[in-house]
Amino acid sequence: MTNSNHSGAVLALRDVIKTYEMGDEKVHALSGVSLDIGRNEYVAIMGPSGSGKSTLMNIIGCLDIPTTGSYSLDGEMVATKSESELADIRNRMIGFVFQTFNLIPRADIFHNVELPLIYGGVSKSERRERAEAAIEKVGLADRMKHKPNELSGGQRQRVAIARALVFNPSIILADEPTGNLDSRTGEEIMGMFDDLHTAGQTIILVTHEDHIAKHANRTIRLRDGKIESDIVAATTDRVIRSKIGSPSAAANTPDFGVEAAGMA
Amino acid sequence: MRLLLDTLESLKIALSAIVANKARGALTTLGIIIGIVAVITTMTAFNGMQSAFRQGAAAIGVDVIYVSRMPWITMNDFFEFRNRPNLNLAEAQALEKAFEGRAIVNPSMDTRRDLRYRSSTLEGVTIIGTTEKLPIITNRMPEFGRFLMSFDNRYKKNTAIIGHEIAEDMFGSVSPINKEINIGRYRFRIAGVMEEQGGNTFGGPNFDRQVFVPISTFVKSFGGRRFTDVDIAVKASTISEMSDLEYEVIGEMRKIRKLRPAEEDNFSINKLDSLLGTFNSIVGAVLAAGLVVTSIALFVGGIGVMNIMFVSVTERTREIGIRKAIGAKRRSILMQFLFESAVICMLGGLIGIGIAAALTALINATLMPASISPAILVTAVIISIGVGIFAGFVPAYKGARLDPIDALRYE
Repeated sequence: MTNSNHSGAVLALRDVIKTYEMGDEKVHALSGVSLDIGRNEYVAIMGPSGSGKSTLMNIIGCLDIPTTGSYSLDGEMVATKSESELADIRNRMIGFVFQTFNLIPRADIFHNVELPLIYGGVSKSERRERAEAAIEKVGLADRMKHKPNELSGGQRQRVAIARALVFNPSIILADEPTGNLDSRTGEEIMGMFDDLHTAGQTIILVTHEDHIAKHANRTIRLRDGKIESDIVAATTDRVIRSKIGSPSAAANTPDFGVEAAGMA
Repeated sequence: MRLLLDTLESLKIALSAIVANKARGALTTLGIIIGIVAVITTMTAFNGMQSAFRQGAAAIGVDVIYVSRMPWITMNDFFEFRNRPNLNLAEAQALEKAFEGRAIVNPSMDTRRDLRYRSSTLEGVTIIGTTEKLPIITNRMPEFGRFLMSFDNRYKKNTAIIGHEIAEDMFGSVSPINKEINIGRYRFRIAGVMEEQGGNTFGGPNFDRQVFVPISTFVKSFGGRRFTDVDIAVKASTISEMSDLEYEVIGEMRKIRKLRPAEEDNFSINKLDSLLGTFNSIVGAVLAAGLVVTSIALFVGGIGVMNIMFVSVTERTREIGIRKAIGAKRRSILMQFLFESAVICMLGGLIGIGIAAALTALINATLMPASISPAILVTAVIISIGVGIFAGFVPAYKGARLDPIDALRYE
């Protein structure tokens, strides 16, 4: 297998092709994508609609598997996993943040954040502890018993971030996280991602907005199912370090609890 | 542990989903409620019939053995018995002598005749020829007047004791004692009226529509050749075991009839037990039919639940997508909806039990003694949960198999 143990690489895609059959026609959503993303990188994936960025996001998020090619996430060879194993990987390694928040409307904030831990089989007392910590981290400790429809858009997205963080995932995968928010709230949410990144979290943003992508240190542009450009912002030495694979950056999933306590 | 966790969480999720859709849940459970009410009332009615039968059967005598030419219940074996000799009074007397001091032996014969008193006529009334010992066998006593006495038989008197219903129908409020009625072509003097028996709910003999006359008079008046067959009732007074009594009666009867060891009995021993068995099989058939009807009701109710579960799964497609994205497996989704369906049906079942309990109380107060047994309750709960799982499975499976990407995209 190529390079799946690349030191410091959280995820590695090699020659990933994804084709869909639409009737008789075969649509190539991705036609040969190879990509390494290192630990603590802050990556924006951009591209016009139809460029394959949603497909790429689904594959990175283990919601889908490549038609051909390989994908390893934290050493797990995703392409060959069963549906149930993929669910486990999504549960423990990936924190999703969606454009439409995707909270469960009937459940209160606490239960929404607790849910990944339930599916992960975590004991009740530990669930309480971890969910409360995650909710505090996004500054909504006083809203735990509220339902999502009692919160503003920005607050809902913060709940979604808490839910994404609760299992200490390898990557946070955010799909247009500010798409349903006004620009001021959007900036707040992006500030939260910036802080998480500073605290050591690996973050992948999928967006079509340049000013959102600017928050990231690396921008990957897709066109027609291929990587058109992959630009690392020169100013941030952290990214360069992670590309080199320094041991400090490649350490275990960083615990950003201390730093995060002061944010939000 | 993991499974338990899943179970508890699924239960919580299911309850919150049901609470969120109260009106829909209530309507959906209506079918289940009706089905469960039907199940419980059928089973309770069955139990009620049985106890009503036992009440009526007590009049026959629980600890009495009847020696007859034919078994009470003949199926296809009637022709095996038709050539048996009739039991006659002489044999009854011989048996009585054999058991003297150990058992009460009472012969009786019966036929049907029209009753006539002045202008009123009752057709086809059961006329029973018997002796003064009948009340010991059946525990039935006259309400007014007296029962037959030994001298009635000794002197072949035309004495009649009439049933409660006959007294009401023919005499109304007038006392029938010492009135003369016609039984067939013969004139009898009424000496007593039996107390009301009731308990003929299910097509059994109507004990209140019988006339008792001395057996000696019966043979003289109604005997003929066709009506010489005697039934002999034997009630143990010192023999405690029914089976012992039965063996002794068979032994004595074989002696009286001089049967050789190789010959089969040419008489039958009848007991309440055999009647009860037949009754049970008849009522069992009724019960089975009732249960078929009620299971159809439950099935229809289940289809209603299935329908609503399909709606529930469809409108929560996006929720399923979210749950799958954050790590729910097929099994978790399946469990979630199965639980929801099972809980809906269980709630329906519990409401059904409540309604059935009220109905039973009503039946108990008006029609016949009835009560819901714990076994019926447990059965009802299990059935309702079973229907829920049955009805929920296909929708839950459909939800569990959804592709997370498609489900997330669903609007």
